[in-house]
Amino acid sequence: MELDQIEKDSLVEEAQQDAETKPYLTALVGWSVQAIEAAARMNRPFVVVGPPEFESYAEKHDIKFVGWDFNKINESSDGLYKQLKAMGAELAIPLYEECVEWAGALNARFREEPRVFNRSLLLRDKGMMKRKAQISGIKVGVFEEARNKDDVKRFLQRVNEALLKLEGDHLDPIHVKPLDKAGSVGHMAINTVEGIEKIQDTDFPLLMESHLDGQEFSCEAFVHKGKVRFLNITEYVRLGYSNFVPASPKLEQKRPQIEEAVQKLVDAFEIEYGVIHPEYFLTPDGTLHFGEVAARVPGGHIFELIERAYGFSAYEAQILCSDPNTTEAELEAFFPNPYDYDGYAGCLMVHPNIDYVQDLNIPDELEEHPYFEKHDMFTPPQGKVAERVGFGNHYGTIFFFGRDSEEMYDLVKEYEQYDFYK
Amino acid sequence: MPQPTGVIVERFAQSLEDLEKAPSFAKSKYQTDVYQEANRLIDAENGLNHLYQYAYRFEETGVFQDSAWEQANKLQPPLVAGSLKAKGLPMVIEVLSELRMLAIAENKYTHPTVSAEDAEEFLNEVMVLNLNLLFPAATESTRIEKHENDDKISKLFQFLISHLSSKALIKTLIHEIERLTAQRPIMIKRIVSMIGTAKRMLDSDSDGDDHAELKKYIAAIEGPSPMSAKYKDIPTYRKELKELSRSELISESVALAKSMRETGLVAPHHATIIRFLCKHHPGLLVYTLNLSSKGSANLEENMELVQQVIKASIFPATKQAIYGLALMLERGVLSHSPVAPGLRRLVELDIRADVRNALHETVQQGEGLTANSILVAGTIQVLGQPLGVGQGFNPTCQAARGISLWAQHAPGFLLEIIPRAARDGDLDFTFEGATIHSKDLSGGLAPDLDMELDPVSLVLVPHLDKIYSEMMSRVALRGEDGHRWVNPAFYGNWVPKGFSTVTNPISGFVQDYSGFVRLFYATHHPEYNDDYELIYPNPVGIFITNVHGKMLGLHAVSIIRIAKDPSGVERVYFYNPNNDGSQNWGQNIVPSVAGNGEEEGESSLPFHEFTSRLYAFHYNPYEQGEAYAVDASEVNDVLNLAKESWGKDYTWV
Repeated sequence: MELDQIEKDSLVEEAQQDAETKPYLTALVGWSVQAIEAAARMNRPFVVVGPPEFESYAEKHDIKFVGWDFNKINESSDGLYKQLKAMGAELAIPLYEECVEWAGALNARFREEPRVFNRSLLLRDKGMMKRKAQISGIKVGVFEEARNKDDVKRFLQRVNEALLKLEGDHLDPIHVKPLDKAGSVGHMAINTVEGIEKIQDTDFPLLMESHLDGQEFSCEAFVHKGKVRFLNITEYVRLGYSNFVPASPKLEQKRPQIEEAVQKLVDAFEIEYGVIHPEYFLTPDGTLHFGEVAARVPGGHIFELIERAYGFSAYEAQILCSDPNTTEAELEAFFPNPYDYDGYAGCLMVHPNIDYVQDLNIPDELEEHPYFEKHDMFTPPQGKVAERVGFGNHYGTIFFFGRDSEEMYDLVKEYEQYDFYK
Repeated sequence: MPQPTGVIVERFAQSLEDLEKAPSFAKSKYQTDVYQEANRLIDAENGLNHLYQYAYRFEETGVFQDSAWEQANKLQPPLVAGSLKAKGLPMVIEVLSELRMLAIAENKYTHPTVSAEDAEEFLNEVMVLNLNLLFPAATESTRIEKHENDDKISKLFQFLISHLSSKALIKTLIHEIERLTAQRPIMIKRIVSMIGTAKRMLDSDSDGDDHAELKKYIAAIEGPSPMSAKYKDIPTYRKELKELSRSELISESVALAKSMRETGLVAPHHATIIRFLCKHHPGLLVYTLNLSSKGSANLEENMELVQQVIKASIFPATKQAIYGLALMLERGVLSHSPVAPGLRRLVELDIRADVRNALHETVQQGEGLTANSILVAGTIQVLGQPLGVGQGFNPTCQAARGISLWAQHAPGFLLEIIPRAARDGDLDFTFEGATIHSKDLSGGLAPDLDMELDPVSLVLVPHLDKIYSEMMSRVALRGEDGHRWVNPAFYGNWVPKGFSTVTNPISGFVQDYSGFVRLFYATHHPEYNDDYELIYPNPVGIFITNVHGKMLGLHAVSIIRIAKDPSGVERVYFYNPNNDGSQNWGQNIVPSVAGNGEEEGESSLPFHEFTSRLYAFHYNPYEQGEAYAVDASEVNDVLNLAKESWGKDYTWV
C-alpha cells in the first residue's frame, strides 16, 4: 500500500467513526467566538445561528452560518427549524439571553418534546420563574408583576406596610426589573414614591420584589439528564463590577447546602440539559433565598474564570451537557472535583467613572502585583462615555489569579474605585 | 520598578504562540493579549529590537487579521503618521506593521504580495513624509503641538533608520524635494523644511559624499554662489559686495540666478545683491535674473518701474519674489498697460489693519517690512508664477483657480481686486444682473481660513470664497449643476458657456457616460475637435480618487493645454491648485509634474486617463468636432476606468 493511500484510508475510517457517534450538527444559537472555538476544538460539526451582521465574518472564516433576527417572531419562524433540520442539526445551544426560547423551541422540535419549549419560556419570564419557584417550595421574596406605575406604587406601599413601617419612616426598597431582560438590564431599586417616575414606560411589564438582605452570589451548574454534574460558585465582590471563582472558603463551606438547593431548582424547573446560572442570597442566619436563574453563558467573564481556576473550558462543558448523547464516561472524564482547583481567578470590570475619557492610567503597582495576570484596555480615543446598560459595556477587564481568596478580595476591592480613565 | 524586559518578551512570545494556534475566526480573542504585551515592549528598554525578532511571524500568526493593516500591499505611507499619533491601539498595530515591513525589506521572510524592494520603498516613503517626527525641529509650533506619542514614534523611526540604508532614504528624500520643486509653488515652506531635515541627516551621516543633488538644494537656500557660500551672514555679504569688481559682480549674479532657475528657490543673498545692483549697477540686473532676450527687452522697457518695485518689495524676507520677478518679465506682463499703474498703486495703498496684520504674519518678526512691501512682493510672485498659486490647507480650490487664471490672462483685473480687498475689505461681482458684495456675506467654504497662504491669496480668498459660495447657493435649486452659470460669472468671459456633467443633477445617476466622454473628445482632443486650440484655461471638475481608485470627493482644476508629449502621447496639461500635482489616483493613474513635456507648475496625464476622472467641463458649443468618430475602444477604456473607480459610488443608468 502506498503511503498516501494509508493516510486516505485512515481519514475515511475517522470520518466513518465520526458518522457513527456524531452524525448531527450542533446549532450554536447566538454569537460567541469562545463557543465557536470550543465546538471547533471538540471536533464537533456545528452551525452558528446568529444575527445577520455576522454573516460576512462567518463566510470569511468558513463558519457554517445561518443569519437570523431573533427579535422577529412570525409564521416563518418555523423556517429556522426546517433549515437547520435539513442541514442535519439535532441540537441547539443558547448563547445569550434573547436566544434561550429560540433554542428551546428548536430543541422541542428536534427531540419532539413540546414541553422543552415551555420550560425555556419559564427562564425568560421573571414573573413566571418566581412563581414556579414558589410553587415548588423554594424560598423567594415577595413578588408581583406590574403593568404600570400605579402597580409599583401600590406594591411599594403594601410591602412597607407589611414591614410595619410608619408614616415618615424610611421605606424599605423594592426591586423592579423587566420580565425578559438579561441580568441587570433595567434593574432598579426603589425606596421612594418619586423614584417610581424613573422607570421607563418601555420597561413594563416588569417584576417587582421585596429586598433580600444578605450576600449575593451566583452558581454555574452544568446539568445533564437532570442531574447537576458540576457546580461552580462565583463570589461577587461587587455585583456587576468584580467577582472571583471559586468562592472563598466561608462561602464554599456551604457548598453541600448550595448543591442541594441548585438540584432542587433543576428538579422544579425540569431542566434536563445545559448550563444554568442562578443567583442566590445567603442571609446572615444561613438561609438561601433564590433570586433568579438564566440558562445561558453568564456575564462577568465567569466562564473564563472557571477555565482559569479549574482548567476546563466551560464552553466545552456547556456543549457537552447540552447534548443528550453525551455519555456518563465522557462527563466523568471531563469534570474535575470541585474542591480541586489551582487558585482563585478573579476579574475587575472597569467602567469610566466619568462622562468623557481622554486617557488611560494603569498604575504600576497593579501590574506588578503577583496576582495581576492581564488586562485588555488601551488608551481610548477621546470621547464621551456611553450610558451603562445593565452591567454591560464595560470598557475593559483586569484579570487576576492567586492562591489566597482574602488577598484576592482585598485587591479587587482596592481597585474598584480607582479611576483608570481620566 | 518597571517589569524586566525579559519577562515581557516571554509573555509576548507566549501570546503570539496562542494567537498562532487560534483558528482564524477566533484570532480577535487572542490579538488583544499580543497588542497588550507589544504595547509594554514598545515602552521597554530595547523593546523594539525584541519585537522585531518576531516580526517575520506577525502576519502568518494573525496579528493584523481583520484589521485595517491586514493587507500589507494596500497600506499607504501617508496614513502612517495619523495612526502613530493616535491614542492607544492604532499606534500599537501601526508600530507592529512597520516592523513587519522591515522584516520583509530585510528578507527575514518572503511576503506573497510585497517584495523586499516594495517594503523598503514603503518605509523610505514613510520616513520622508515624517521627517519632522524623525528629526523633531525645535520650533515654537512643534513645541506647542508636542504629542504624547512623540517619543515612541521617534524611537521607532530611529530603529527603522538603523536598519535601513540611509543612502536609499536620502535618495527618496531628494526625489520628494524634486517632485515638489518641479511644481514651482509660491509657498515653499514645506520644501525648505524638508531640505533642512535632509541637511541634518547628511550631517549625521559620515559617508554622505555622493549627495551632490541634495547639496544643490541646500546651497540654493543657503548660498549657492562662491561669495554667498563664503559669507553666510547677510550684513557681511553686503559689505563684501562693495569690494567687488564689475566682472566679479556679474559672475556672482550669474551663479545665484542659475541656482534660482534650476530649483525655484532663492537665497537671501540674492535679495541683497539685487538691491545693491539696483542702486549702483542697474545694467547688471539682467544677470541677476538670468533673463532671456524677451525678458531683458521687457526689463529695459520698464527699467524704472522694476527698480521701484525692487526697492519697495525685494528683501531677504521676500526673496522668493525675485523668482517671480524674473518670470514676470519673461512673460511680458509689464507690457499690459494696467499693470504698471496697478503695481504702483499697491506700493502706496492704504491697507486695512486686519489685512496688514495678516500680511505681517507671513514673515518672521523683526524683518522690518511694511505690509505694502509684502503685498507687492506677493503680487509679483502671482504674476510671475500663476501656476504656483496654491489653496494651502483650505477647501478653496475655486478661489485659487480664479487667482491663477486672472494672473495668466487678466492681470489688470487682478490688480483691481487686490486693492479693493486690501483697502476696502470688499469685492463686488455681478451675477445675472445682481451685484454681490463679499462684505455682506458670511460663511463660505472656509470660514476659518488656514493662513498658510501666499499674500495675494491671503487678501483675496476670504472674499472670493464667500462670493463663489453665494453664487452657487443662488442657483442651487435650478435642477442643474450650478457651475454651468457660476463659472463664467465668477471667472469671467474666458469660460465658454457650453457645459456638461457626468451625473444627472436631479437623480444623481450617471447618465449617458459615453456621450459625455465623446463630447469631451470632440471639443478638446486635437484629433476630433477640428483643430480648435484651447486658448484660456478651462475650469473643470474632477473626481479625486485615492491610490486604490476609491472616490474621495470632487476637486477643481484647470486644463491649461492639450498637446503631444515628447514621446507622441496626447496629454492633458493642467493646473492643480493643491500644489501636490502628482498624487497617485489609483489604477496606475499618476499625474506627472515633470518629464512629460510639462511646463513649470503643470501636471499632466494621458488624455484618456484624465478623461476617466473628469466630472464636468465647459466647451464652446460652436467649436465641436466629430463626436461620432471617437474610437469606441477608447471610449470603452475610459468607461471601464471610471466604473472601476469613482463609478462604484454612483448608480449607472
